[in-house]
Amino acid sequence: MAMAALRRGGRRFLLSPSLPNSFNTAEMAISSEEFGVFGARSISTQVVRNRMKSVKNIQKITKAMKMVAASKLRAVQNSTENSRGVWQPFTALLGDSRSVDVKKNVIICVTSDKGLCGGINSTSVKVSKAVAKFTSGPEKETKYVILGEKGKVQLVRDSKNNIELTISELQKNPLNYTQVAVLADDIIKNVQFDALRIVFNKFRSVVLFMPTVATILSPEAVEREAEAGGKLGELDSYEIEGGETKSEVLQNLSEFQFSCVLFNAVLENACSELGARMSAMDSSSRNAGEMLDRLTLSYNRTRQASITTELIEIISGASALEG
Amino acid sequence: MASAAAGSTAAVPFWRAAGMTYITYSNICASLLRSCLKEPYKSEAASREKVHFAISKWANGKPEKPSKTLSHSFFASFIVSCRAGL
Repeated sequence: MAMAALRRGGRRFLLSPSLPNSFNTAEMAISSEEFGVFGARSISTQVVRNRMKSVKNIQKITKAMKMVAASKLRAVQNSTENSRGVWQPFTALLGDSRSVDVKKNVIICVTSDKGLCGGINSTSVKVSKAVAKFTSGPEKETKYVILGEKGKVQLVRDSKNNIELTISELQKNPLNYTQVAVLADDIIKNVQFDALRIVFNKFRSVVLFMPTVATILSPEAVEREAEAGGKLGELDSYEIEGGETKSEVLQNLSEFQFSCVLFNAVLENACSELGARMSAMDSSSRNAGEMLDRLTLSYNRTRQASITTELIEIISGASALEG
Repeated sequence: MASAAAGSTAAVPFWRAAGMTYITYSNICASLLRSCLKEPYKSEAASREKVHFAISKWANGKPEKPSKTLSHSFFASFIVSCRAGL
């Protein structure tokens, strides 16, 4: 009986310093095992082994996800870089009047449908909320149009009364202009606005995304701004070809600008999402590797400890018989 | 230059009156142009006009109706909507 107590005490003494404090779960699992069977001969390493197996599986999954994101990224990055040429002429012509003060603001928050991609969705949502605060005021109205499930989930919590439209499943097929144009058309037809503010993550590199706001004015707002002067005032120096009046041309232009800018925004965000997923998955597989190293170490130490205990028992038993 | 009279001679008022935006108009033009391509290029271009997304309108903090899913090629939907309209 005393022997058993000694053994248990000895084991506890051997076990506890070998496990680093940061690794609480394994420690707890082992000590609960210790209390499980009274006077068991050897320590069960089953729990640690199972955990090692699951960590290894998780690492495999995250590695695979990283590879998938990397291969998808290449195609999307290409089309994103090509699509930048689509909105640049518009900005050259109409400027980006982000400080414009209008009554009905609609914020288009571009997010992704899937998670596990770092902080890009929360960045989009945070910037959208900041823009909403910035544009709100007496007699003003701010509404949200949300692209993607993740943004919807976050914005429903505190501003669900301001949501006008939600759109998801955009990325089932590879993104193309026709799709985004049909979507832009739906937004124009369903939402009343003076200014649209598109919030998205602009892709710089695989690890760098810039939260960006693009502003698109309604035709009436463009005309008002044009009269006020500034960049838009220079529109009068252009000669309009064909039979259309200026307001018609402006309406066409602003509609087309919206679909083009939205197309670029959706692509940039998809690109940022894949880049963010790549780096997130990279760091999580590295973390899994570190965890696995720590687990292996503690597993081996425990094994060694139980062998040592058994040896001591045998030797002391033998010497007791001799002496 | 009587701009109002000149405006009526252009195509713009007609498709505006039909409830189209410039986006729809330009998409129809693009779709017609794609359908003029010859075969290996035609199906490749057709894959670029696949439209799929789910949209739901919100009112009073709730999605109004079960979201409708759009999934088709653009030109087909145009023909369908034309038939429905006419």
